[in-house]
Amino acid sequence: MNRRDYLLRKIGLSLITILVVVVINFILFRVLPGDPVRAVIGRNVRISAETQQALREQFGLDKPVFPDQFFDTLGQWARGNLGVSWSLRQPVSEILLSKLWNTVLLIGLGQVLAIILGVALGLLAGWKRKTAIDVGALTFSLIAWAIPTFWLGIILLAAGSTWFGLPTAGIVSPANTGKPLITVLPDLARHLFLPTLTLTILYLGEYMLIMRSSILEVLSEDYILTAKAKGMSHWQVLWKHALKNAMLPIVTLIALNLGFTVSGAIYIETVFSYDGLGKLFQTALVKQDYPLLQGAFLLLAVSVIIANMVADTLYVVLDPRVKEA
Amino acid sequence: MRLFKFLSAFVAIAVLLTACGGQGTTTPIVPVTDATKAPPPAELAILHFGWLGKPDTLNPAYAFLTESYTVFDLIYTPLTTESPDGTYVGGLAKDWSVAADNMTWTFNLKDGIKWHNGEDLKAEQVAWSINAVMADPDGWAALSGYISGFTEVTAPDDKTVQIVTEYPIANMEYRVSFLYAVYPPDFESFATPEDLQNFSNFEAIGTGMFKMNTFDKDTGVLILDANKDYFDGSPKIDQIIFQTFDNSDAMIQALKVGEIDLVNEVPASAFVTVQGYEGVTATASDGRYFNELIVNTVDPNNDPAPTGNPALADPVVREAIALSINKQDIVDIVLQGLATPGASIVPPTLGGGFWYSPNIKDVAFDTAKAGSMLEAAGYVPGDDGVRVKGDLRLEFRLQFPSDNPVYPRIADMMANWFDEAGMKAIPEAVDSDSLIAATTPAGDYDLVIWGWGPDPDTDFILSVMTTDQFVDGGWSDSGYHNPEYDQFYLDQQQAVDKTERQKIVWTMQEMVYNDRPYIVLYYEKLLQAYRSDRFTGFIESPLGIEIGLSLLNVEPVK
Repeated sequence: MNRRDYLLRKIGLSLITILVVVVINFILFRVLPGDPVRAVIGRNVRISAETQQALREQFGLDKPVFPDQFFDTLGQWARGNLGVSWSLRQPVSEILLSKLWNTVLLIGLGQVLAIILGVALGLLAGWKRKTAIDVGALTFSLIAWAIPTFWLGIILLAAGSTWFGLPTAGIVSPANTGKPLITVLPDLARHLFLPTLTLTILYLGEYMLIMRSSILEVLSEDYILTAKAKGMSHWQVLWKHALKNAMLPIVTLIALNLGFTVSGAIYIETVFSYDGLGKLFQTALVKQDYPLLQGAFLLLAVSVIIANMVADTLYVVLDPRVKEA
Repeated sequence: MRLFKFLSAFVAIAVLLTACGGQGTTTPIVPVTDATKAPPPAELAILHFGWLGKPDTLNPAYAFLTESYTVFDLIYTPLTTESPDGTYVGGLAKDWSVAADNMTWTFNLKDGIKWHNGEDLKAEQVAWSINAVMADPDGWAALSGYISGFTEVTAPDDKTVQIVTEYPIANMEYRVSFLYAVYPPDFESFATPEDLQNFSNFEAIGTGMFKMNTFDKDTGVLILDANKDYFDGSPKIDQIIFQTFDNSDAMIQALKVGEIDLVNEVPASAFVTVQGYEGVTATASDGRYFNELIVNTVDPNNDPAPTGNPALADPVVREAIALSINKQDIVDIVLQGLATPGASIVPPTLGGGFWYSPNIKDVAFDTAKAGSMLEAAGYVPGDDGVRVKGDLRLEFRLQFPSDNPVYPRIADMMANWFDEAGMKAIPEAVDSDSLIAATTPAGDYDLVIWGWGPDPDTDFILSVMTTDQFVDGGWSDSGYHNPEYDQFYLDQQQAVDKTERQKIVWTMQEMVYNDRPYIVLYYEKLLQAYRSDRFTGFIESPLGIEIGLSLLNVEPVK
């Protein structure tokens, strides 16, 4: 199979997966117990049964789930329309887009830092195996990986706001709301610092541990011994021979993690009152906002699938064996 | 060593960031939202308000969350408003009267009321606002409940609004306190109910003490500027900034470091800690939220047939259940004293205590008495200790919504007390949507622990017990059906004489207390806190800090 066929097959499979996800999502949310109208209006208001019925008709919930609601939804999606959120009364695509960048900014930054630091630390620990550096890095990573997200977030929030005066909530200060982010960069940086630090610490451990074990395995290979025997420097051995092979498991991990980036980090977003996709997913679920839920899960599914495709493609570049298989 | 360097680098960056940005408490914030609004002068008195929610919309036609109404009360003015003692005082209205037939209400407006854009308010605009709700109740879903029974609203002159009703309406003052005067040009052009509901109204024009500056729906940041032309005196602060927190620990921390000045809802678990903060005053008020044990009272002939334990129909069993709940222990142990044991579905704070029946004397906790009562009624202990009488067995499902932090503990305690009396309760957490589906109108439960936040007027919480409400979309969950009660409910709606209405309301509470479709457990306290080292002049009432009045009155500490 040549490279083009391999990619085409991957894309075809991805499209089928998306279609299956769409159908499953539709069914999944509708078998949830409860009444979306009730979820939208809550328990504390004075809404008559007639008004609730009017809302139900407006949402199309008075029609049978199958075929009416199902084909209505598919028809809308085919026209590129994700519908209007019931609880937020805004087009779903607009809502998703507005939160997407916030989340990509936070998680992206945290991931990039965690990848760079984690890989570097793992490489170092593997290379300096059984030294104090290795033990120290390993202990730190294990702790970082095991710490509950919520707990670390709260601790850093309390420490950061008390000792360094860092903000406790939001993406920018309330007074900077609505301004283009580029004009309020210092404020943005202050707000991003603690959530990013939390994310970096949490992900760093995972990358470090995988990288360390991967590099240890590679370093025990015969060709590394050969390279050393040829008189190459430590650095050359590590860079030219070990790293490329050791990166394969990391690429998988990065792709998987990045795919889930858009699902946000519900815990971190909640601790730091950060307006991202993770929190949106949670709200949509609580409010049983079907259009928003379907849109959000479509976005999540598509990004995970795309991330996997990218990983598959990268394999072709990194590992010639994939091509031949 | 490297690890140390890595951490030191982070600390260094943190210090740098601290240095490069101003913090709310020390540097005045100069908000600029768009080019058309001039930046206010530097020394602004800004009050930062922290809360866990945010308005769902600023459109009164389709707002369901309490937060929205907090904001409406600041930017809009209805004809009347509730005062801290539970009575109603004039908002837009200077005074009002009702004709001898009790069906024509005349409201005289105050002088000098201006819209936020500087135009004078006219009575016909107030009439227009109420007529809009009457003309499109589907569109004005959130307010349509307040206009039932209205036939005509007119403005005979610029200063008078007249409401004619189909039958006498007892709680007119309360009803009009939710019918905000909206600026007609903002709401005139909607063709369908959906168009109206989709309108965000982020540039709301009202007549209230604060005017809109900015609302960011995504983050919940809401900035209001003082209305210096407010007809009842200008606020002493210049601006309020509402900030939404998704997590109560972060909100409390923000109060501690002075990022926010007022917290409307302090979690009970943090209350003692907050009391200890320097420069912070924390208050616990009675509020009007109550929690109850719902007893399945659904008519056995209901369609679908209820699945509740038939023994619950026996008044002796109900009384035994009531005797087997130690409300004081629940308050002291689970709620750390931040509640009061309850008895009536009408909380003592409603209307300043006017509606709470003094005739209700709660039974004292006594499981031995419960046991002997059951014994006398023929319920004898079975092999496993659970009492039985013929086919009846005193074993109950005890469900509660899973999102509540204290209910699991209460359910466990109840199960132990029930055990002492020879009954069995099986606690089970259920998500609230499933619980709504199980209660109304399925009647598929035995006992449920839940809570209500009643409206300021008693009408709503009394309606919860009417037979009509036990339908899909209705609010009755107990399935209480008592034709006599239903008649009283209609009577109190039309009893314009307050004392006469009070008498009916008392009787109704007593009926609910004695029949026990609900066993009211406790009234939750409202916990609030503010930075008393920065602002002074908060107005407290038995219902807590009055947000509207306080924000009109507070000023920075000099």
